Amino acid sequence: MGGFLLIFLVLFPMAGAVAGYLTGRRSKSARDWLVLAVTVIELLGTLLLLYFPGASLRLDGVCGLGLTFQADGFRLMMSLLTAAVWMMTTLPSRSYFAHRRNRNRYDLFLLLALGSTMGIFLSGDLYTTFIFFEMMSFASYVWVVQEETPEAINASRSYLTIGVLGGLVTLMGVFLLYHLAGTLQLDALREACASVEDRRLLYAAGGCILFGFAAKAGMFPLHFWMPRSYTAAPAPATAILSAVLSKAGIFGVLVVSCGVFYRDADWGMLILILGVVTMLLGAVLGLFSINLKRTLACSSMSQIGFILVGVGMQGLLGAHNQLAVYGTVLHMVNHSLIKLILFIIAGVVFTKAGSLDLNEIRGWGRGKPLLAFGFLMAAVGVGGIPLWSGYISKTLLHESIVEYIEVLAANGGAGWMRAVEWLFLIAGGMTLAYMAKLFVAVFVEKKPGSKEEKSSYMDRPTAAVLVVSGLALLVFGLFAHNTMDKIADASRSFLGGEALEHAVQYFSWTNLQGALISLAIGAALYFVVVRLLLMKKDEQGVRVYVDRWPSWADLEKLVYRPLLQGLAFVGAFCSRVVASLADWIIALVNRLFYKKAPQTVTPKTDEQFGAYSDQPLHRGIVGETLAYELLLYGAGVVATLLYLLLQ
Amino acid sequence: MFKSIVLLLPVLLPLLGGLAVFRLRDAKIRRIAVSAIVLCTLASAVGISFLPDLSLHIWELGGSIAIYLRLDAMGRFFLCLVSGIWTLVAFFAYEYMRHEGKEERFFGFYTMTLGILMGLGLAGNLLTLYMFYEMMTLITVPLVIHNGSREAVAAGFKYLGYSTFGAGLALIGFFFLNKYCTATTFAAGGTLDLRLAAGNENLLFAVWLMMMIGFGCKAGMLPLQAWLPTAHPVAPAPASAVLSGIITKAGVLAIIRVTFYLFGADFLRGSWAQTTLLCLALATVFAGSMLAYKEKILKKRLAYSTVSQVSYVLFGLFLLNGVGFTGALLQVVFHAVVKNLLFLAAGAIIYKTGKTDVRELVGIGKEMPVVIWCFAFGALSLIGIPPTAGFVSKWYLAQGGISEYGALGIVGAAVLLVSALLTAGYLLPIVTRGFFPGRDFDYAPLEKKEPSCYMTVPLAILAVLAVLLGVFPGGLTQFIGGISAALF
Repeated sequence: MGGFLLIFLVLFPMAGAVAGYLTGRRSKSARDWLVLAVTVIELLGTLLLLYFPGASLRLDGVCGLGLTFQADGFRLMMSLLTAAVWMMTTLPSRSYFAHRRNRNRYDLFLLLALGSTMGIFLSGDLYTTFIFFEMMSFASYVWVVQEETPEAINASRSYLTIGVLGGLVTLMGVFLLYHLAGTLQLDALREACASVEDRRLLYAAGGCILFGFAAKAGMFPLHFWMPRSYTAAPAPATAILSAVLSKAGIFGVLVVSCGVFYRDADWGMLILILGVVTMLLGAVLGLFSINLKRTLACSSMSQIGFILVGVGMQGLLGAHNQLAVYGTVLHMVNHSLIKLILFIIAGVVFTKAGSLDLNEIRGWGRGKPLLAFGFLMAAVGVGGIPLWSGYISKTLLHESIVEYIEVLAANGGAGWMRAVEWLFLIAGGMTLAYMAKLFVAVFVEKKPGSKEEKSSYMDRPTAAVLVVSGLALLVFGLFAHNTMDKIADASRSFLGGEALEHAVQYFSWTNLQGALISLAIGAALYFVVVRLLLMKKDEQGVRVYVDRWPSWADLEKLVYRPLLQGLAFVGAFCSRVVASLADWIIALVNRLFYKKAPQTVTPKTDEQFGAYSDQPLHRGIVGETLAYELLLYGAGVVATLLYLLLQ
Repeated sequence: MFKSIVLLLPVLLPLLGGLAVFRLRDAKIRRIAVSAIVLCTLASAVGISFLPDLSLHIWELGGSIAIYLRLDAMGRFFLCLVSGIWTLVAFFAYEYMRHEGKEERFFGFYTMTLGILMGLGLAGNLLTLYMFYEMMTLITVPLVIHNGSREAVAAGFKYLGYSTFGAGLALIGFFFLNKYCTATTFAAGGTLDLRLAAGNENLLFAVWLMMMIGFGCKAGMLPLQAWLPTAHPVAPAPASAVLSGIITKAGVLAIIRVTFYLFGADFLRGSWAQTTLLCLALATVFAGSMLAYKEKILKKRLAYSTVSQVSYVLFGLFLLNGVGFTGALLQVVFHAVVKNLLFLAAGAIIYKTGKTDVRELVGIGKEMPVVIWCFAFGALSLIGIPPTAGFVSKWYLAQGGISEYGALGIVGAAVLLVSALLTAGYLLPIVTRGFFPGRDFDYAPLEKKEPSCYMTVPLAILAVLAVLLGVFPGGLTQFIGGISAALF
């Protein structure tokens, strides 16, 4: 029964996708209900899975190597999150898509992606993970291109490129890993990889696998597609991209970090460095952006960086990785909920205000308390303010860094780790600063010359989603020991974490200190950088937001595109030469030897009549001379001599 | 003996039937006749595949000069694959060839080629193989030059020249093998006389290399691949589909026969010739994809793609191990399905819109959604995106390389994946631009241009196969496992 449920959860949405597509060609409202029903049934099915702990299923021979599915704590939690997010984004979709084209197409790929994402999180081996990961990549491509604006087309091209490239590089890693470890079962990887002797090849394999998954998560330096794709996709899709699909990438990163390189300090170091850069870069980009969705996209990148810091710390801390494990898992959950709220709000804003530019939508949110409530909950949640859930996960991550500093200090020298701690706090401050920027711009400031409209701005399902998720953040934060600790406890075995020896005192003074420092940094950044440096007075004397990020500072335009084009040019040149060799030899031989016989000439005027011309046609490379005959004769003699000499 | 006569059925039926087709001027009767012949051949090919191993001496001059048919596992594989695809393409061609004209000539040669291919699959010794091989070259030339344009005739001659040169190289090898083999009759594991071969290894390696390059010409391997991108685009779409999907596989079959049924994998493994051939195959994989990526004419792009994809097969074969062999034969099937699908889709586009350049295909998905959907599945399969078919073969090929060849194997797997990336680069934009032309695209002049079910049904069947074979490759892998178990 459990096994059946697993495959049902994967295939049912895909069947629903096709059914929805066919229904949608006849009746739109029937389709909407059907899609919603599919997501609700999917969520119920996932809840039912709670009654079958440890359900697993093997499908031998399917897709070559065979697929395996398994549900344990972490995987179950991620699938629940997936089903819930999908349902909650489908609810507001109806109003978002009310006046848009091609909803049918969108729903088809929405449900296809749901099935494949469930496949990722329920997979029992890396082969299965990879197969569904690729399906998810391609299905979600259609979301990005959905609007078909020039920006969307452009962004979707990057999305597809990084999706295909990442997929293939990961596949290379999977090839190597299968060869080295002899298994791809997620449960068996830890042991199998520990006994691999060729460590360098194993690192190469791990690096390749990391590439594709990290690209989907938006890790530096593979983040470039993220802000543009998130901005271009329809808001409900962006909510899923950020809340779930990036976590699918993280899932892969965890498989590598907690399976292949379990408690490997070098690997942990690599992930930590990349995580810190991602965290800071995302935050800085978010601070500079003046587009609501783009800021949120950059924020996603930054938060992924936080999660990666946690993953890195797990590797570095080795056997003492409890705090890092708890922090990683909880920050994944928090970030999913928070981004769900924020992108749905962005969708509401875009549907009604018609723009996402902060200067255009300034003050649009005034007098809309429910929207403001949702936004505020999410903002303080992501900012790590005590009493909200984000504070819990950030504290755990912070504590894991502090713990490692103590380990290092005991062995002398922990300077660089202190720097990491400060960067972590600064990034937290920047999070607060850009969220404050958004909140003030949309909900507080007045746009000169605009009137407040009191019409209905969002439908009930949307409001319900906002309130429920917003309150969840608060409940999680207030009753952390009964909620979040339980979630993390259930998940830790997948990550190979030990149980906490004693519950963390989240609201102790030392733990609060970190949050306060971030708060102070955030306030300073907001008032100094955002208000002074990133705003200026326009002609009417109104202070407006300006985008001061230099337009050339774009990794894709600056590095990747020229690099790819250069490689393609060199590759094509070499290929052309190699492929033409035979033709050139034939042409050369033609010109050397086919010049003697006079050719048949057909006069243009008379097709029936042909005659030999007196003169050989001029097509040789050398004219007909005695010297030419001598040359050929000489070549023959030389060839003969060489042959005799070599004999 | 009497039972063995049945082997002649799939060979003679289309050959004689094809001669009759030349006389059928009425389109409807011709369709019925061609369908009947092709379907009967398919039925007989599948039917004799269930028979135990049979052999039939047709004509004997003594020694190795004999025309000899024999049915074995490899032959069954080739027979069923070829006749299946041939049937689907025939139905597509009924509609397509209406705008090319001279249909009785096309279908006459088309049907006869099937008989020759059946003979190739049943060939029991090298001479018979060589005979059918040359006949195949000659009889497919009219398919290439069908429209009679100056360009087509030139391409036809190029095809003829390259093919006969390649076959000539292989023929030289025949004389050597005659001396060093106990018999030139195919036998699993090889017939090389190891006492005679001792001391002459390098000579035999050189002979093998030469034969591989010779037969590799048909399979589009460097350095004799240049006929492919010239001949395929000028031929009518159904002809280029089978040229690309099936005729190239005839070269692959010859390579398999010579390598595994005459030389034997054990003798060749680890030789310098093997390394050379692996490198040549990889170079072809890369160069083909790269040139396809830069090409703008759709059919020419697909032809370059064939150059690349068939060399995936050759890479797998030259690995000389079971896993690689399995991957290679899977790739034979998948590529046959997918490349036919893609060429037929290109044909449907040409037939309905006359567009040949990929840059003109913006918004094509709105005009002919079924065709482009099928094309999309073909594209995904050719790239090797799971769960489509191409992924499974790639998995086996890469594992075959990495498991035994160290650095070369890893480089090989990497080249396969780079080529897959390029494949995505030259196929996916057609689909994405076809379906997502952009918001400012003018929808007004678009009209429904979906072709009739003669075209869409074969396309749909191939598209379904391209996916289903990837999800459930079990039966196929098992059958191939049976072949390879006898060889390694």
